[in-house]
Amino acid sequence: MALKRFNILIAGVGGQGLLTLGELIGNAAIESGVDVTVAEVHGLSQRGGSVVVHVRLGPGSSPVIPKGAADLIIGLEAIETARYIDYASRESLVVMDSFIWPPPLSKHPSLKQIVGELSGRVKLFVIDASRIAREELKAAVAANVVLLGYSLALSKEFRNYVDLEAAVKAVRRVFRGKAVEVNEKALIRGYSEGGSLGVK
Amino acid sequence: MLERGSVALLLGNEAIARAAIEAGVGFAAAYPGTPSTEVVESLAEVAKEIGMHVEWSTNEKVSFEAAYAASIAGVRALVAMKHVGLNVASDILMSSAYTGVNSGLLVVSADDPSQHSSQNEQDNRWYGLLSHLPVVEPWCPRNAYRLTKVSYEISEKYRLPVILRTTTRLSHTRQPIVYEADVPREVRTRGSFKKDVERYVLVPAHSRKLKEALMKKWEEIREDLGVEPFISIENPGLRRAIVASGISYAHVDEALNLMNMRNDFTVVRVSMPVPLPVKPMKELLSYAKSILVVEELDPVVELQLSKIVVEESASVELYGKDYVPANYELSLEIVYKSIKAFLGEEPSAPWSGVEPVKLEPQVPPRPPTLCPGCPHRNTFYVAKVAANKAGVRDLIYTGDIGCYTLGYLPPFRVQDTSLEMGGSIGVAHGLSLVVEDTVIAVIGDSTFYHAGLPPSINVVYNGGRALILVLDNLCTAMTGHQPHPGTGLTATGEKAERMFIEDFLKSMGFKTYVIDPMNVGESIGEFVKAYREHLSGKHVAVVSRMKCALEVLRAARARGIALPKYAITDACTGCMACVNLLGCPAIVVEEGSRKPRILEEACAGCGLCAYVCPYDAIVVSREGGAGWRELWH
Repeated sequence: MALKRFNILIAGVGGQGLLTLGELIGNAAIESGVDVTVAEVHGLSQRGGSVVVHVRLGPGSSPVIPKGAADLIIGLEAIETARYIDYASRESLVVMDSFIWPPPLSKHPSLKQIVGELSGRVKLFVIDASRIAREELKAAVAANVVLLGYSLALSKEFRNYVDLEAAVKAVRRVFRGKAVEVNEKALIRGYSEGGSLGVK
Repeated sequence: MLERGSVALLLGNEAIARAAIEAGVGFAAAYPGTPSTEVVESLAEVAKEIGMHVEWSTNEKVSFEAAYAASIAGVRALVAMKHVGLNVASDILMSSAYTGVNSGLLVVSADDPSQHSSQNEQDNRWYGLLSHLPVVEPWCPRNAYRLTKVSYEISEKYRLPVILRTTTRLSHTRQPIVYEADVPREVRTRGSFKKDVERYVLVPAHSRKLKEALMKKWEEIREDLGVEPFISIENPGLRRAIVASGISYAHVDEALNLMNMRNDFTVVRVSMPVPLPVKPMKELLSYAKSILVVEELDPVVELQLSKIVVEESASVELYGKDYVPANYELSLEIVYKSIKAFLGEEPSAPWSGVEPVKLEPQVPPRPPTLCPGCPHRNTFYVAKVAANKAGVRDLIYTGDIGCYTLGYLPPFRVQDTSLEMGGSIGVAHGLSLVVEDTVIAVIGDSTFYHAGLPPSINVVYNGGRALILVLDNLCTAMTGHQPHPGTGLTATGEKAERMFIEDFLKSMGFKTYVIDPMNVGESIGEFVKAYREHLSGKHVAVVSRMKCALEVLRAARARGIALPKYAITDACTGCMACVNLLGCPAIVVEEGSRKPRILEEACAGCGLCAYVCPYDAIVVSREGGAGWRELWH
């Protein structure tokens, strides 16, 4: 009875809304009647460090995704996406914000270098989610939800567990007040951006 | 609050809190500590609604004592702490086993395998064996919800505190939880204390008898609790068996499914690792010939099981730490390989990750850093510049536990030790009596209330030469900005008597300087005076008070007050003083650029970079709104 779990790794920098994105997908799973674990992996519980969230859709309770077993990586920042790329296999879909935020006092590879290096390894899709959130939605923090919409549009397998409707319901569950509207827009904006690529 | 039948996506810690509410807990106390904090934090949020008493106590020992007292007076109670917190509370833990409880008492111990945010990796199941108290270990958040309620039943049945051991992974994983019960309409929050000196006064004559009674209970538990939900046996009767404790069961469960070997093993799920119930283990030994114990960290179940093997003269091969690592947290991947090795196969996993990225420059590490606007950055800068100005050359900074521990990193390097809560002052005292260097103890506000008072008194009493620097950011920042006695607020947002750190220090005999490190120049001047006074032989302390930047940002958003923003002008020569002296995440040097840039969205407007710029090239690009300065104090 080996049932397949759909594994999503969310990588980024503390403070970028990774935990909220994990909560959103988890709540979308509840809306869809799918079991889920959402593991929040962070160091000294403070901002600015490297953070990953492991979302595993489908039955089972072991929370952490094995290396090579991520079906989807959602990268909120380029350096962090590069850091955790060994969680992906050649078949994995990697959706990455073009945003790069180097740690202070560091030498680091450029966005172009990272994109070049990753596209040889995985199915890589890069989107200017931070720019869209900041300029079009006037809410820089909504980049995470743009990426969720984009990922849903690009992955049919993801939609088998959680569809756009469930994601919208999850936005209403997780956010309050004005944030509901902004994040619904972000979700739809990302989804249509992904849909326009014509990937099945 | 949500009613019976609702589904919510809860963290393991929140699941424990909800279950405690449903169990009618009327008293909860804790000192915050990752990964345990959310248990009592979620209770604090609803305490008024339910009528429950919830408090952030000054330390774990105090919180344990308070919750214990409630339980002996007939109020169900909960105390939660991180694993090392139980070291602080271990004295009362040991005594409470002897004197026992009346209403249920749950001691939540959140261990931290892999040391995600702790100074060590101790396995607190040993505390069960040390104190002779039962340890319950859930295997997933849903199971934590159920076992919390069951734990109250056994606590009251045996009249003992019960240790609920979680780990970081379990505490910080969310899972959908279906609520089995409503919030009780009435919660028992008042009780009465029935005097019984032979029970509650632990003089040797009493405690010897109580020890005997405790050991009797211990044997009863070993005999009686080998039943669901503490022990569960799947596919009994097979030659090969796996015994899995706590969250290890979740990994074993999925690994066996993936191997298609679910029916090739008897699987024993252990949710009570201490004391390991005897009967089901004897039964297991009657048919199993080869057993693998899968448990995180130390061989607590394995050792108890090996004793039963000897007692039963069972002919069985028993493995555990031979195949399962004793360091770091376990995972599906690790457990999969361990089972393969146990089967005598190549310990490989079925997944293959793509090659890690190999670039030049490499992907840089990203440790947690002090946030933009963090007051500790200001204080560290002030302390270092002042030391130079005062001519203090050889300095040892003894550090402590908090965000400021990050001060060990460049560019500051102002933590030369960091051992345990309050350790900065005790260690500084000892060092100051045996080395020639100037020793300065760097401790946070909450840590000072927790364990900084006794060693401060000791410095004065025993003629130490340590200078004490207290970083007061007006909250327990690292664990999520909980209030403490210096804030004038309680866990539930009620007004409290506000106690100032400088008042304590002054009363002990320290000449105490209070600085506001946002006023950088003025603070340097004061700190220089403090150093000089210290060099003249006086007991000196400095309290540096400026609010945590994350709290300031939150308040600014909530009140619609704009904070100032800074930008770098063309006057910048690219000297990199701001970058190299401050390590602020809001100041970046972009590819191809020889000059830094301030990320406007990240800048908190503290202005420290403008102070340090030798060319006055950093200026206010957006003025702060009325009242922004007050937000920092």
